[in-house]
Amino acid sequence: MGNKINFWFISSLLISALVAIPIITVLGSFFEPISDYYNILKKTFLIDYLTNSLFLLIGVLFITFVIGVGCAYLVSFYIFPAVNFFKWALILSFAVPAYIYAYSLTAFFENYGTVFAILNNLFGEGNYNAYIPKFDGLLGAIIAISFSLFGYVYVLTRASFHYQSQNLVELGKNLGFSKKRSFFNIILPSARPAIVAGLSLVAMETLSDFGSVSYFGVSTLTTGIYSAWISFDDLTLANRLSSYLLIFIIGLFILENLSRKKAQFHTSSKGGHRTKTLIKLNGYKSFLAFIFCFTIFLISFLFPVTQMLYWTIIFPQHLENLDVFKLFLNTINLVIISSFFLIILAFISNYGNRVSKSKLLQILNTISISGYAIPGIILAVAFITFISWMDSNIINYFEMGSIKSFFIGSTLGLVLVYFIRFYSLANNGIKSGYAKINYSIDEGAYLLGYSKFKTFKNIHVPYLKNSIFLVSILLTIEIIKELPITLILRPFNFETFATKAYLFASQDLLEAAAAPSLILIIIASFFILITSRYILKE
Amino acid sequence: MTSLLSACFANEVNVFSSRHYESDIKLYKKFTDQTGIKVNVISGKDEALQKRILEEGKYSKADLYITSDAGNIVTFDNKGMFQNSMSPIVEKLVPSNFRGNNWVSITKRARILFYSPDRVTRDDLNNLSYEDLANSKWQGRIVIRQSNNIYNQSLVASLIFNNGKEETSKWAKGVVNNMSRAPKGNDRAQILAVAAGEADIAIANTYYYALMLSGNKGAEQKLAAKKVLPFFPNQNNRGTHMNISGGGILKYAPNKDNAIKLIEFLLTKEAQQHLINNTFEYSIIDGVEPHELIKNMGLDFKQDLETDIASYGKNQSDALEIMLNAKWK
Repeated sequence: MGNKINFWFISSLLISALVAIPIITVLGSFFEPISDYYNILKKTFLIDYLTNSLFLLIGVLFITFVIGVGCAYLVSFYIFPAVNFFKWALILSFAVPAYIYAYSLTAFFENYGTVFAILNNLFGEGNYNAYIPKFDGLLGAIIAISFSLFGYVYVLTRASFHYQSQNLVELGKNLGFSKKRSFFNIILPSARPAIVAGLSLVAMETLSDFGSVSYFGVSTLTTGIYSAWISFDDLTLANRLSSYLLIFIIGLFILENLSRKKAQFHTSSKGGHRTKTLIKLNGYKSFLAFIFCFTIFLISFLFPVTQMLYWTIIFPQHLENLDVFKLFLNTINLVIISSFFLIILAFISNYGNRVSKSKLLQILNTISISGYAIPGIILAVAFITFISWMDSNIINYFEMGSIKSFFIGSTLGLVLVYFIRFYSLANNGIKSGYAKINYSIDEGAYLLGYSKFKTFKNIHVPYLKNSIFLVSILLTIEIIKELPITLILRPFNFETFATKAYLFASQDLLEAAAAPSLILIIIASFFILITSRYILKE
Repeated sequence: MTSLLSACFANEVNVFSSRHYESDIKLYKKFTDQTGIKVNVISGKDEALQKRILEEGKYSKADLYITSDAGNIVTFDNKGMFQNSMSPIVEKLVPSNFRGNNWVSITKRARILFYSPDRVTRDDLNNLSYEDLANSKWQGRIVIRQSNNIYNQSLVASLIFNNGKEETSKWAKGVVNNMSRAPKGNDRAQILAVAAGEADIAIANTYYYALMLSGNKGAEQKLAAKKVLPFFPNQNNRGTHMNISGGGILKYAPNKDNAIKLIEFLLTKEAQQHLINNTFEYSIIDGVEPHELIKNMGLDFKQDLETDIASYGKNQSDALEIMLNAKWK
């Protein structure tokens, strides 16, 4: 097929060009002088930024790995009480954004918080504050981010376990492996691409998290970039810090790609797909499995929901003041427009990659998913900077008036930056779906005289239905929860549940943030539930 | 098309605001009812709002930027982003030290000390000033939020204005030494820390305490607030550090006249009363009764009216530099 310039090439090029805008903008101003602020920072907190980011990353990856893979393993291979409930209930953690989790954590454990109120009401007045553990700072951020993100690892690992053929399980048995040995030597390695993909998503989200780390006052590279760029107008420093961040991310990319390459796990077309026989757990083992899953469900979902519900009930005036219908329309509007474009273009790009097998396209594809690595807050500002630059250098030259009002403070601008931010999510979802369709199927179709388009329409799309659904819930939930981009680029009088909750919280009105947070969680949960039923049926 | 038409003929004013009180929104509605001028709002954090206004440049639709803290307003003014925001009414109502040519205060607040009456004596408090907080007798007893917080930057900027950079550097190091924990949480969290016995003195803005006492934040917050008392420092010299909420008309404002009308409306007695009843700040105009809880904190304290509040903006980056150098997180 070669490197022909065709439709696929042009569309991939356009997508990557769009996504590359913020990176080019960031790098474009790399030659400016270093400010005093950089020198002060270097002497004082630069090391803190780096170590905080690193500890945050390690902590979150460890926790999400253990609970994500642990839960996926239990619900995929065993039968124990409420296992069918946990299968979908654990995905509900996706509905709780890390910053809302952070609000709940604070509200619950802070001095004179909910725990104090409970103890005070049960045992009478006393100074319980000293005995209540405090989950704030770095620890708070690790917990908030882990419990709101472990779903990525859980969902992808579970899907991989789900498609793991019975042969693998039997292989362990035939070799006389214990369950533990089977798990570590066969099951886990065969799910590695899924686990690494999940963890790399978690890692990128963690590094770009702004809401919860800034709420807990943890200075990370991301908050450092934010304050360097936005508060100190110091692009050079922002770029320097961004490049440190990008080094982290590039490392993750390489890791992900290497592990995918090492593990070319196409579902075998021979031997068929036999349903796994699940092992029924008895006695204390069944109890432990139940407790493990229940605890994760309790901490990740029930806890923040209950805290927000409690506040909404005791401070009902804040719910009354909320224009729920308008917020809902705004949010859904953004979700539908953005998901539509994201999924269509991810399809085009992946299909192009598959049929042309071009190295150049693969490179473009890699560029195009890099938007996910850049914190939303930086993307939004870079986008504004880029549009301003275009406006004054190109548009003005042709005397065409200003394009700013079309892109800044408009739905169009919001959707474009969402596109940059979430393209990797759409792309990776479709890509991993494609990875499961063996090339021999395409070749078979061509032999039968199918055109490329017919192969795409009649074979790929139906085959990838599951991936499309998975991608669309992930996108929907991400967009409902999205905060910094919406906050910076939204039009006048335009709020979403996320911006409303955040603005209240930043004004220290957590009790007012509860109602929009709760509604956000309920809507996100609804989307998760309708789709999870579909996934479980498969 | 309709939006294009409405953009040409609309009777509106576009507000960028970092104050996210529902009560502000209700006040804007009242303004619309009285004048027929629609108020469009974008709220957000200051840095992001400012960046957006700067980048939009002359195509910005923003008319009025409303924010907390003089430091925010003055730095933005120094970037040349405002235009003359004065009118005879504004000049008459607002004392001259609480306005510049291009910006005007709407409400006032004080940044004061909150102490535990169990662990801090009358003697300790006698003539206590911000400067004294660097004294080693307070070692391990002070809580205050992080250095990236604008209220702290303005407080430190005012100290630079009064005592110079070198003295203030020493002061910041002393305060960091006296902290009972690494700075974390907002102003309310500092007051809670004193109530819970983690520290003896907290530095926080007045309205946080009143809000806790009001019961609007629940019974436990009220209980905590009752365990601490407010103290207004520097009474035997320049007075307590005052700060403001305020705004200015932006350089490229498309609806300047409406923006002036909105400012004048916010300075009416009715609007001021509404503002301070809901946010527990002090009124910027004469003759408006403060909230009962604010009255109980004491009204006869000496306000620092000597320090030029424009210095909060001018000394802002020095203030941050000093705090960072003192390893103030």
